[in-house]
Amino acid sequence: MELERIDNIPTETISGYRVRPGKPLPFGVSSVPGGLNFSVYTSAGTSCTLVLFSRSEMSPLAEIKIPDHYRIGDVYSIAVYDLDYEDIEYGFRIGGPFEPDKGNRFDPTNILMDPYSRVIAGRDEWGVDPDWDRAYQYRSRVAFDDFDWQGDSPLEIDDAKLVIYELHVRSFTKSDTSGVKFKGTYAGIVEKIPYLKALGINAVELMPVFEFDEFENSRTHPDTGEKLYNYWGYSTVAFFAPKAGFASSGRFGMQVDEFKQLVKELHKEGIEVILDVVFNHTAEGNERGPSISFKGLDNKIYYMLTPEGYYFNFSGTGNTLNCNNPVVRNLVLDCLRYWAAEYHIDGFRFDLASILGRDPWGAPLSNPPLLESLAFDPILSSCKLIAEAWDAGGLYQVGTFPAYGRWSEWNGKYRDTARRYLKGDNDQIGQMAQRVQGSPDLYQSNGRSPATSINFITCHDGFTLADLVSFNDKHNEANGENNSDGGNDNYSWNCGAEGWTEDLGIRALRSKQSMNAIGMLMTSRGTPMLLMGDEFGRSQHGNNNAYCIDSEISWVDWSLLESNRSLYEFTQALIRFRHQHECLRINHFDHHGSSHFPSCSFHGTTPWKVDWSPESKQLSWLMSCDNIETGLMDAVYVATNMAHYATWFELPTLPNEYKWQLCFNTGDSDNPCQALPVDFSDSGILAGERSLLIFTVSPRET
Amino acid sequence: MEVKLESFNNWQVIKVCGQIDSKTVGDLRDFIDSELKEDQPVALELTEVPFMSSAGLRTLLTLQRKTVDMGVDLVLVGVSTEIADTMKVTGFYQFFKVVEALENLHGAA
Repeated sequence: MELERIDNIPTETISGYRVRPGKPLPFGVSSVPGGLNFSVYTSAGTSCTLVLFSRSEMSPLAEIKIPDHYRIGDVYSIAVYDLDYEDIEYGFRIGGPFEPDKGNRFDPTNILMDPYSRVIAGRDEWGVDPDWDRAYQYRSRVAFDDFDWQGDSPLEIDDAKLVIYELHVRSFTKSDTSGVKFKGTYAGIVEKIPYLKALGINAVELMPVFEFDEFENSRTHPDTGEKLYNYWGYSTVAFFAPKAGFASSGRFGMQVDEFKQLVKELHKEGIEVILDVVFNHTAEGNERGPSISFKGLDNKIYYMLTPEGYYFNFSGTGNTLNCNNPVVRNLVLDCLRYWAAEYHIDGFRFDLASILGRDPWGAPLSNPPLLESLAFDPILSSCKLIAEAWDAGGLYQVGTFPAYGRWSEWNGKYRDTARRYLKGDNDQIGQMAQRVQGSPDLYQSNGRSPATSINFITCHDGFTLADLVSFNDKHNEANGENNSDGGNDNYSWNCGAEGWTEDLGIRALRSKQSMNAIGMLMTSRGTPMLLMGDEFGRSQHGNNNAYCIDSEISWVDWSLLESNRSLYEFTQALIRFRHQHECLRINHFDHHGSSHFPSCSFHGTTPWKVDWSPESKQLSWLMSCDNIETGLMDAVYVATNMAHYATWFELPTLPNEYKWQLCFNTGDSDNPCQALPVDFSDSGILAGERSLLIFTVSPRET
Repeated sequence: MEVKLESFNNWQVIKVCGQIDSKTVGDLRDFIDSELKEDQPVALELTEVPFMSSAGLRTLLTLQRKTVDMGVDLVLVGVSTEIADTMKVTGFYQFFKVVEALENLHGAA
């Protein structure tokens, strides 16, 4: 016989609703038989009222003041019965002192979003002007967490085998040229999975998908009248909720299912999902910003405050989340566990992650508890943890980020070195040699591995690859800030003319330089990351910071796939090449190499002799290992000539039983990648000006 | 929302008229629980359903599981383009056989 639990029976009626004391855990809303359990934390708040709305209604359906004896410690919880899960929206009013100079900003007239909300209503469709007269803007709803995964689980692809593709959900398919039905949405990405699969990448890194408000600080361009948005979304409103405006089903509140379907379909094709997460600050801004949730719940717990109650601004965006407070730390941990367990997310890239290692007063910690907790968490143990290892407060930790053997890093030094070497700057050979072998200067002495280094030449921040070879300077006028925003250290070179040109020579050089960049990236040890569309020359017309632009400037123009077909095919072939050659993916700095060659050796125009002088523009690398199954040697030789003149490269001598095969030559504009590797019997090769060549070895037939 | 049980050849047809959402879905579920015969294939006629919410789609999936357990076919009939799109992007569509009209049922079974 099944007994009905007595703790499922309401004990009293408040404001017309049957209720009983709730359970303090889990935080947020959870289902109990016949009702919903609401739980919220406030350490300095003195009262808590649960405010219920019918969907989209201006006025509350009911306000249920949670009796004080329902509070345990600092947590108010209540079970409310007979609610329509699907229709209900809820928030909280928290009473307490409004004393900003002491860090308290309680205001019971304001309705606060549940920080653990799994679905947010109020920004259901992208770009639809919200009703600003509403007292409650970002409205907590109840999620259905019953998606049928049909046996799916996170893929757990070895770090060293990853090829990451960074994309913005809306930009990826918003353009008509994308040819998809559900443009600019999670479902639109699903339609492009065959493309991603054919390209050969095996992880997508999605720019922020936690609910944000595209209308935050939205404004009109002073000259063009164009509307400018919080387009990228590096400003979180709700950490547990997927952005509704990125879901074609967002207007029906089904973004949770749509996002899970995206993950499931990507996993089916062997593609992991990494989320770009922003825990360094929130959308509440500084003392002039709105009070959405944390400010009114427990301001001085959630934010780093000056002794006068102002907001520290290590993020450069107004406030700094107080991540090493134990309560906030648990929120971050709960959040990531939720995304890993409930959405099967494979990894996280942490925006301005160095902030997460600061103490509540901003000083860098030697053993930051949050980073340690994440590194050793049982649910996150297979998740990739990737740090953007710097912050806007001047902390730069590439190579020194507290890693606990788990964290990898966006390697900004790889980006800068590869760019400078590519454009022919002096003094780059030594640096480049470090970057190509996985940056041992940064990661070897502290026991880390090459895959710790996320290698990239372009990412959402800064120029696209096509712009990197087409512009000397940023052109951010469309952002409406007089071109003062965006970085100035682009290490870019326009190849002879600024921006678009009809000069065929310049265009050919740009195409070659793009291939050179991708060639270096895909033959370096570490984890390569491509920016969406770089494989076919996507341009932002020189804008290196299109964070606010919702137009063709940001959207991927898929017509370029045809016009720049050779770049696409080159990239595709190189990714396949990387997957085929284990020697490029060795993930130990102390790897012994093959029977014939060291694991990674450097050469110049003469084998085994590198010209390390400041003026040198030639560097070759030879990577090698033995294939355990076949007993054969795997070797890849990459010759790069970044000088403005052709140069003869003598090839390293092979053992008699092997021969060289030429696979890629960016100097051969008609045929930069060989459909089949070409046997190569000469002792050397003339590398054209600013060219990259890739050879592999094949056993001689006996 | 109204629900009626009709028949078409050997199919039992559950004909729904009106919106299926959290307010009406209980009636549909009760109807299915009480009226469904164990040994006949089931057609859910949705031509007159203009909108189906998340709760509605979940009830459809419950019905699908139930018919699998019963070992009978389930076919959705006359799903509007908008509902079908929502079902596709959220992953529900793949669990169902869908036909345009009752006359197409034989091909689906």
